[in-house]
Amino acid sequence: MTTTSAIVSDRYSTSTSQVLISIAVLLACLIVLFFVVDTAVVQDWLGYARREEARVPTFFLRIVVLIGAIAAAFFAITGTSSYRRNRVSYAPWLFLAVGLAFFMVYVIIPIFQSFSYSFTRWDGLYDVNGIWTGEWVGFRNYGLLLNDPNFYTSLWNNLLWLVLFMLAVPIGLGIALFLNQTVTGIRIYKSLFFFPFVISQVVVGLIFAWAYNPEFGLLSEIWGWFYCETKVNIVGNLTKVCSVDPPSILGNEHLATYGIIAAGLWPQIAYCMILYLTGLNNVSPDQVEAGRLDGAKGWNMLWHVILPQLRPATFIAIVVTVIGALRSFDMIATMTQGGPFGSTNVLAYYMYDQAVGEGVGRYGYGSAIATVLFLIMLVYISYFLWRMYQDEKGAH
Amino acid sequence: MFPTPVAKYSGWAQWSYKLAIPVALFLWLLPLLAIFMTSIRPASDIAQGNVFGIPSSFQMIQNYAEVFAKTEALQYLINTLIITIPTMIISVGLACLTGYALAIYRFRWSLPLFFLFVAGNFVPFQILMLPVVDMSNRLEIINTVPGLVMFHAAFQTGFCTLFMRNFIKALPFELIESARLEGVDEFRIFWHLVLPLVRPAIAALSVLIFTFIWNDFFWATVMIQNDASLPITVGVRTLNGEFVQQWHLISAASLLAAVPPVIMFFIAQKHFIAGLTLGATKG
Repeated sequence: MTTTSAIVSDRYSTSTSQVLISIAVLLACLIVLFFVVDTAVVQDWLGYARREEARVPTFFLRIVVLIGAIAAAFFAITGTSSYRRNRVSYAPWLFLAVGLAFFMVYVIIPIFQSFSYSFTRWDGLYDVNGIWTGEWVGFRNYGLLLNDPNFYTSLWNNLLWLVLFMLAVPIGLGIALFLNQTVTGIRIYKSLFFFPFVISQVVVGLIFAWAYNPEFGLLSEIWGWFYCETKVNIVGNLTKVCSVDPPSILGNEHLATYGIIAAGLWPQIAYCMILYLTGLNNVSPDQVEAGRLDGAKGWNMLWHVILPQLRPATFIAIVVTVIGALRSFDMIATMTQGGPFGSTNVLAYYMYDQAVGEGVGRYGYGSAIATVLFLIMLVYISYFLWRMYQDEKGAH
Repeated sequence: MFPTPVAKYSGWAQWSYKLAIPVALFLWLLPLLAIFMTSIRPASDIAQGNVFGIPSSFQMIQNYAEVFAKTEALQYLINTLIITIPTMIISVGLACLTGYALAIYRFRWSLPLFFLFVAGNFVPFQILMLPVVDMSNRLEIINTVPGLVMFHAAFQTGFCTLFMRNFIKALPFELIESARLEGVDEFRIFWHLVLPLVRPAIAALSVLIFTFIWNDFFWATVMIQNDASLPITVGVRTLNGEFVQQWHLISAASLLAAVPPVIMFFIAQKHFIAGLTLGATKG
């Protein structure tokens, strides 16, 4: 009896030495972190000629001390009797602490900071004393937005992206149905079809910028089969003579956006295809058989039997396609940089262009554009979360 | 199985299907094939309009060697690796912890916090851009590789948490419950019981994060301006400006940037697809 109670009381008592030592270490780490590690100090210690060069070592030193502080804090908490009595209620917070704090600092808090920037006029700089140089302007940035034709162009292009990008879903389904067979080598075919998604969008952009090139691109070559013939000119060189010149897709303000969207569709279709292939893999064969017995065939079967079972795949395909459409940036940056005459801008690119591109430095205006984009995205995010919430409720 | 297996078709239909797949694949990958052909031909071919025909001479090695010799391509590739690998380790590591916390413990904040990670994962980058740049500036890590890694790792923690939490949620809970009743410490349960079970999820996430970060362009453009720290995606675009109209070199450099994720995809195809299609089959 006495031994058991001794063990029990030991399990729940505070381990004083552990807590005290950990707190001492924690304090030491914090002091080092805030008062000792400094770029100038590290520069002196390690003998760097320029302050710039001391930045990365300083960063690593800070990280090491920070990790020390976190570890000490953990030891201090696990030493207390309160922790020992309520492990299950403390534990999730200990597991979450670092990841959550990290995510908060880099993702959640910046969203609100961007909101507040959007009410200011600021070029991103501080004066020599480290004091913010911006000024508070209320809703003026939003007022400017309403009178900015480029903003409307971007908004319109965003809408075009959203609508046309949706083509990726049915086309992806089509290819998935085409490939959902068991012939030799089909696995390799499937992964080769998926290829475009693995490649960087920058590379896809460059590939298509080249393909669209009116002088020696893929498209001009195909165009040549129909409209051009090769002739020997007076000097004796081969020249191409075309009855209709090939269009310069990216140089034409009416075509450029469609050209970029077509390029963007290429990897997106591949993604939708893989989602549907996985979905088709899990379609219940019994129901397909039952459908067949009922005489369902072709489109009927697809619409009434298969698609309802593919609903989760369709949902994910739509979500990733919407996000892909609203995030389109890389391709625009590589293919046209918003041109010609701003005709291919979308909110994402226009914001970048206003805030840091071309040395404009309009942080406030850029943030206002970003806020609009965020609000559009928020509609989809809320819908997605609502769907997830319904699923979670259903699971319990 | 839907559609009807081709094996049930007539012989002629089977043949045409088997013929149609390679043709479709050829058309689908035509832009890629064309750029590969461009990357192995001499510049003179392109100038003479021989863009698709048989190259007058095969210059694969010369062209690719020229890219490495004339530019910082090697440095860019190394930079990308030292951005990608630490990001992968940090975000997957943190997500194991957060995912475990959100999947196993029933506490009031469990679902709201999970949704916070999910929502954060979908926000447009532009809303984060200026505050993150400003913060990195004040922490004196703007324009450095660690500065970029910190952001990537934090942001990807969102996606990894979503993935991990759902993966751990699907594990048999009784296992953990019984270990807890035995009096095993929470951290031991995590380390000895759960971590070995989530290995497939760790593999899938690592491959995905590798590809995402390797292909990142936006954040590298925003956070890194000095040439010495640029990753390959931004590097390739800079080369595009340097090699004006030298398409054989531009295409060689582009393909170089594309190769590592492709290799990664082929090595870990199963994990890659399992990761991407998470949620596409439930319900």
